[in-house]
Amino acid sequence: MKFNDLVKMGLRNLFRRKARTALTVIGMVIGTISIVIMFSIGYGMRDSFIEQVMENGSMTVITVSTWGYTIDEDGNYIDTGEQKLDSDLVESIKKIDHVKSVGGMLQKNLQLTCGKYNSGMMVYAMDSSTFESFGFPGLTQGEYPTADHKDIIVFGSQARNSEFYNWGSSRGSNSKTIDWDRDTISFTFSDYTVNENKKAFTQVIKNYAVMEESENYMFNYYAWMDLDYFKELYTKYANTLKLEDRKKAIASLNKFDQIQVNVDNMENVTAVQDAIKELGYSSSSDMQYIEPMLQTSKMLQVVLGAIGGVAMVVSAINIANTMIMSIYERTKEIGIMKVLGCMLKDIRKLFLFEAALIGLLGGAIGIMLSYLLSWLINKYGAPLFESLLNTSYMYGETTGGFSRIYFWMPFVAMGFAMVVGIVSGYLPANRATKISAIEAMRTEG
Amino acid sequence: MQVEKEVKTVLKKEKVSSEKKEKNSEREKIIVLKGVKKVYRMGTERICAVDDVSFEIYKGEFCCLLGTSGSGKSTLLNLMAGIEKVSSGQIIMKGKNIHHMNENRLAKFRQKYLGFVFQSYNLLNSMTALENVEFPLVFKRVPNKKRRRMALEMLKKVGLEDRIKHKPKEMSGGQQQRVGIARAFVANPEIVFADEPTGNLDSKTSKEVMELIQGMARVNKQTIVMVTHDNKLAEYADRVIRVFDGKIISIEENDHSQKKEESDVNDEIAQVNKETSNEETSNDINNNDINNKDTNKEEFTEEVINLKKAEG
Repeated sequence: MKFNDLVKMGLRNLFRRKARTALTVIGMVIGTISIVIMFSIGYGMRDSFIEQVMENGSMTVITVSTWGYTIDEDGNYIDTGEQKLDSDLVESIKKIDHVKSVGGMLQKNLQLTCGKYNSGMMVYAMDSSTFESFGFPGLTQGEYPTADHKDIIVFGSQARNSEFYNWGSSRGSNSKTIDWDRDTISFTFSDYTVNENKKAFTQVIKNYAVMEESENYMFNYYAWMDLDYFKELYTKYANTLKLEDRKKAIASLNKFDQIQVNVDNMENVTAVQDAIKELGYSSSSDMQYIEPMLQTSKMLQVVLGAIGGVAMVVSAINIANTMIMSIYERTKEIGIMKVLGCMLKDIRKLFLFEAALIGLLGGAIGIMLSYLLSWLINKYGAPLFESLLNTSYMYGETTGGFSRIYFWMPFVAMGFAMVVGIVSGYLPANRATKISAIEAMRTEG
Repeated sequence: MQVEKEVKTVLKKEKVSSEKKEKNSEREKIIVLKGVKKVYRMGTERICAVDDVSFEIYKGEFCCLLGTSGSGKSTLLNLMAGIEKVSSGQIIMKGKNIHHMNENRLAKFRQKYLGFVFQSYNLLNSMTALENVEFPLVFKRVPNKKRRRMALEMLKKVGLEDRIKHKPKEMSGGQQQRVGIARAFVANPEIVFADEPTGNLDSKTSKEVMELIQGMARVNKQTIVMVTHDNKLAEYADRVIRVFDGKIISIEENDHSQKKEESDVNDEIAQVNKETSNEETSNDINNNDINNKDTNKEEFTEEVINLKKAEG
């Protein structure tokens, strides 16, 4: 029997019993919808968690801070201690597996001056060659520092918006909005008391760049500099200080305030953190906080998937039932086919094809309806889901929705529906091949 | 008494058939049965439907298995067609031992060499006449256009070219059987098995159908094996094998020029058979009764409707 004849016959047989085929397909549709929707809700929730945490930083970044604190396995705070962060540590962290890049960071306060008006800002200094690997956002203005041009300050997207104040004004403090393109703005450091004997250090901002809006707050409110350029400026500043302050200032440049570690994959973050712990340093990452959340959402996915699976099993039984009924009804037909020289494998194929087609059809319709339902859930389901789930997780307004159908879900669901069809059609199909031709032809119908 | 008569007729037959034996030995044997036995188990009882039967069927002949219902003739046909397995003995068809074949080889064998005509036509009700005739060719993987052409040609031969789009339920018994015959012959098989091909037809259509089968087979020199309980149908055959109680009681040549002598003998056997076939005829009567009841019912409901109309 050729394949197109098989298809033709299968379709004819399904079409002959329209109502029954339709009902079985509906069963499959419900099975598919429940599985797809349940998974989409599970994934939607997981994504919401991740997005929320993304707002506070990148998922693959581990931070080792000067003031490290230790936590136990359940995430409870135990102790705080000072850690010595130097370039040796940077080198040894670089050797850990899955570490993509390591950046030692200095963190100081800048004092900005524009005429009589002053403002403050936090500045981070890091090796500019590692900027890219830490996922620095694009720029709306200027360029990132390069090896040749390190004298650039990169401002976070919101960093320049702070008001400048005139503290010494006789009429109390008044503020001024700065025009960064026109006004001359200079900065200095204010970590130590000013040495009256020397001319105070001040640097006019000439080259600067501005970042795009980012989900990571680190790139929104602070300024960034290349480490070497920063050290150069800070050494200049230190030279204007009194002797003992100068020593302290220079020494502070040899110790990093924090080290950021970029890991190649979210899943390896915990392993790398463990490795850092073995070096004797405590570290923190957003993964640490999200992991229990992810575990909860994974469990939720399993539970939801199981609910969907029950519906799928029911529809599988439904298909098997339909096929068995169909065999009883077509006993005579099968007998005739056998006598006319139809191979057993063709009879089996015919029944499997019919079962698979029911599965496929139900799967396809189910997926279409799933998209519709998913859209409805995201549009109107918010109050319900928020009241159900607000106990432990906050749903931000920026979340992508409660139900999210990934591009691979339709294919998997359709394949699964077809496999369910074939599997549940297999026994009936085998049964059809075992019908005795002589018995079959004796039956009426 | 019955046995005595049987023995007599058998003796008479042997005289006739011995003359032909020499001629037969020269011809190609297409089906050979050697000591074929078929035993059914009904609960604890064992019923021997076919009991140690041996005979040959020659290429191109029209052979008839004649016997009453329950004589084992249909079982014999099913055994030859490979639909049922023999309990012991051998059936050799086209030089191949068919009870050694597995289902797949048997299916291939049927596609290649066998055609079937059934008493109850066994057409697929969901298919048109044309599709029914095409059906065996579907399994043979004949290309679409070619098999449509073959089926059309076949339907023309049986005189149904104006009915090709009709479903079996829309045709008379005779027409349905002609579709069945077209289906049996469409793949040009070497052997065609016919199981009571006229069992459900009236005598006039029976004659037409029989002539059709005979004519078709003659053109392509096909072998026909027909099973019937009807002596009249046996007259169409070249050779008649009489079966009784699972055994062959006689094999006789029908020389169509010597009909008279044979029909005498046939009449005698018919008498013998009459008693045993009473059961069958009474069954038929019962069926008729049921049919009558149905028609009565219809009439009755019509009357009721008429009455209601009158009241209204």
